[in-house]
Amino acid sequence: MNPSKSYEFRCPIHGFIVLNDWEREIISQPPFQRLRRIRQLAWTDQVYPGAMHSRFEHSLGVMHTATLMYDAIRERSREILESELAYNQDGLGRDRQLVRLAALLHDVGHGPFSHAAEELLPNINGGDGKYKHEQYSAAIVRAHLKDVIENHPSNANYGFKADDVAALLEGSSRAKQALFWRDLIDGQMDADRMDYLLRDSYHIGVQYGRFDLHRVIQTIEAVRFEHDGSLRVGISYGGLHATEALVLARYFMFTQVYFHKTRVAYDIHLRGALKELLPNGVFPKPTTSELLDYLKWDDWRVLGLLTDGKGGEHGHRLTTRNHFRNIYSTPEVSKLSDMDELKLVKEKLGTLVAAEEPASKSWYKTGTPDIRVVSETKGPRPLSSYSTVLANLKANNQVLLYVRPEHADDARKKLNEVLKKDEQSD
Amino acid sequence: MSSLIERVGVLGYLAQNAPARWVGRTALMKFCYFLQELRGARLGYSFTLYSYGPFDSAVLSDLGEGEALGVLREEVISYPSGYGYQISCAVAPENLSELGGELLQNYQDEIDWVIREFGNYSAADLELASTLVYADREALSAEEEISIAELSRRVHEVKPRFSNDQILHQAESLERRNLLSAVA
Repeated sequence: MNPSKSYEFRCPIHGFIVLNDWEREIISQPPFQRLRRIRQLAWTDQVYPGAMHSRFEHSLGVMHTATLMYDAIRERSREILESELAYNQDGLGRDRQLVRLAALLHDVGHGPFSHAAEELLPNINGGDGKYKHEQYSAAIVRAHLKDVIENHPSNANYGFKADDVAALLEGSSRAKQALFWRDLIDGQMDADRMDYLLRDSYHIGVQYGRFDLHRVIQTIEAVRFEHDGSLRVGISYGGLHATEALVLARYFMFTQVYFHKTRVAYDIHLRGALKELLPNGVFPKPTTSELLDYLKWDDWRVLGLLTDGKGGEHGHRLTTRNHFRNIYSTPEVSKLSDMDELKLVKEKLGTLVAAEEPASKSWYKTGTPDIRVVSETKGPRPLSSYSTVLANLKANNQVLLYVRPEHADDARKKLNEVLKKDEQSD
Repeated sequence: MSSLIERVGVLGYLAQNAPARWVGRTALMKFCYFLQELRGARLGYSFTLYSYGPFDSAVLSDLGEGEALGVLREEVISYPSGYGYQISCAVAPENLSELGGELLQNYQDEIDWVIREFGNYSAADLELASTLVYADREALSAEEEISIAELSRRVHEVKPRFSNDQILHQAESLERRNLLSAVA
């Protein structure tokens, strides 16, 4: 251990990522090393063979990107940070390190195969709401990374509690003024999405997710939303088109990669197999008594069980690459009349429908982000008020229907009957 | 668990029945928070706290999907204090009840209550009131009993731009309506 030493990690996206000794100790802990065994994009390699990258490298990338964003905002918006959030020089230095730790640990709570299995996280206190991986991250920070966060010699400069990092991750009032920085980790224009778009594109070998990261960083600043007076992360006018490209990159990655019909089929099979593999069909809760059990679940364990022939029908389909077939899709932007047709199709296909996947269920779903642009002559305005493209961009609300491959011919015949009938009635 | 179309129906009802017959994004977000947290509506959102109050990007996703479906309409408009969004309902009230289904039927009184209690709040007041409720519920789940001054102090640490008096005044207003649970 040498508190003053730094370490460089090669990264295909950012070149070198520099960690201090404290951060290196943190990533050496078993809960963080587990992220090497969790693939960023689940079974996407079944469609794009290069998609084998892990949450480990993404987490380093998010810390790096969040730091670039933090430094840019601190440089460009120091006055407003001091006047609105009562920051001083020391406070800004302290929270820079806090943001780095939170960004580094934001995904430490992911389950096997990342978002694909998130639907199997348990309900909170038996209610409607499900736990999210961020709550697992916060719980792991408090329970399993407390010692390395609080007792490393470097912490003498900061006096952080593990709870400070957890509060920023889960969004708690205990984060105090630092809550402003949560936008960098989990916000409308955050380091997480900037890193995953570039990283996923790189590994998959597509260009859809690329945008000018450095231009966005160079123009990022703290912006006061005039209508409610709140301070949020926005951009200056010079970054308009780079940010427009970021939003479009997300849109294209969604339509071409994240919601690719075959990739989605593998999410269905993974969930189905995990329901068989997990006790009671759900992951353990993020509670003191169950967290260790949760941490034992990673991709390796699931793959081992699948190799042993477990996981039922879905496990078998995963190991033999015999996935459900997409038989019917509503348009990418579906109107109510399209949903009526979907209802007709479902009625006609009946039990042949093996799965229904709406875009709204996807973690990567595309909403319209609320990003403000500030020009020298005009106050902050929504990005879409400057961009005709974004003003006309509608959210993807497509619904995909799947059938078993052995039923595909039968289903197609029935589908043709209903669609032909529909055409005639038009 | 509510369906997307039902939730879009609820968003449409909120916009249609707001005093101005439209809402901004802040109002829509905070109305949904109050509806779920204060009135127990099973919308299925997971709100967490940001410096601008409780927020769940799923509300914006539902808004986007509602727009795509042709149920909601969103325009950028110029307020006296700056630019913002104007969200209105694009379908007739009779069609809305069909879309909102059981969710709207079960919680219509609760939605009306939210509009009655908070419909005339400014965006800044909604942000402050919802943050107070969020901090109150945090204390409740930690089984803490706190004073109204302590609650206000905690919120002031998140939102130093609001004065102590402003926060206290808002907290007292919520307390008078029995909307705070952890305050002794």
